[in-house]
Amino acid sequence: MDRIVNEICDENDLKKFQVLYQEQVKRGVVDEKAQFEYAWCLIRGKAHSDTKKGIALLEDLFRRIKEDEGKRDYLFCLSLGYTRLKEYEDALKYAKALLKVEPENRQAQSLKHYIEDKMKKDGLMGMAIVGGAAIAIGGLVGLGVALTKKLN
Amino acid sequence: MEQDVLTTLKILIIGESGVGKSSLLLRFTDDTFDPEQAATIGVDFKVKTLQVEGNRAKLAIWDTAGQERFRTLTPSYYRGAQGVILVYDVSSRQSFSKLETWLSELETFSTKHDIIKMLVGNKIDMDKREVSKEDGLKFARKHHMLFIEASAKTKEGVQCAFEELVEKIIQTPGLWETDRRGLQLERDGNTQQAACGGYCSVI
Repeated sequence: MDRIVNEICDENDLKKFQVLYQEQVKRGVVDEKAQFEYAWCLIRGKAHSDTKKGIALLEDLFRRIKEDEGKRDYLFCLSLGYTRLKEYEDALKYAKALLKVEPENRQAQSLKHYIEDKMKKDGLMGMAIVGGAAIAIGGLVGLGVALTKKLN
Repeated sequence: MEQDVLTTLKILIIGESGVGKSSLLLRFTDDTFDPEQAATIGVDFKVKTLQVEGNRAKLAIWDTAGQERFRTLTPSYYRGAQGVILVYDVSSRQSFSKLETWLSELETFSTKHDIIKMLVGNKIDMDKREVSKEDGLKFARKHHMLFIEASAKTKEGVQCAFEELVEKIIQTPGLWETDRRGLQLERDGNTQQAACGGYCSVI
């Protein structure tokens, strides 16, 4: 999953789909295909700002498109996008939404595991920091006590 | 055993939607089969190390979505691939007749002109057959491809398809590079048969 999550879109591809999308924006009618293709590349953009833009386009598509056909793809890409941003709560929300429709979807299952794993690691890291601080404070208190005793 | 890996090869799986690309991959990498396999979203990725003729090769396998909506997005994954598995479904004439389109797609987007191609006729476990083995063979010969019929469901031919492809890649000079330690291939003229007895190999 690491490879899929961290994959970077080729800049020429990104530009190609950007041009197609922007032409449609100029004409005033953007079809689902152009928006999806551009968003797909943006999600995998080098910069977080690209990924964020991609997420916005996908969330717009999700609201705008009536047919169910593409929605599974949008949900997966949204989950992927938020995973890249390390916004795991939202990432998990979208992975779960896809699994609600397709409980056996292997790609969604692996992505969900990946996200949960990251959340767990982040959680442990948080605890380690808090734990470390507790030890440090404990040490200071101990030192204080020892010093007080000495002074007395 | 990472240090024994001769090289990492990029393998691509392409073909029409529903022909069993992901099923072939999962049979090969995980030895599982799901009859209700969901359509792949965009692309999937798996790694597997394979022993071929005494050499270990690490395969980085990109399994692409066959659905029309991804048709313009998947070619970016063709870049740098040394081998491709082009899949059709022997119970679907339509999937067979689309092969030419897939080949021209490959021609356009692959960056290695001597990329090794393996044609796989999947789903031979099905009763209803619409493409004969001869037709598959003829197509493969015409386009200089390796060929095998397989079933992801029963396992038949799956391992062989990957092994033959990798063997052919390794035998093709210039298509891959030795790693930093400069490991050399054993080229002792020993024209060993493939692990599966050359059953599937036709060019």
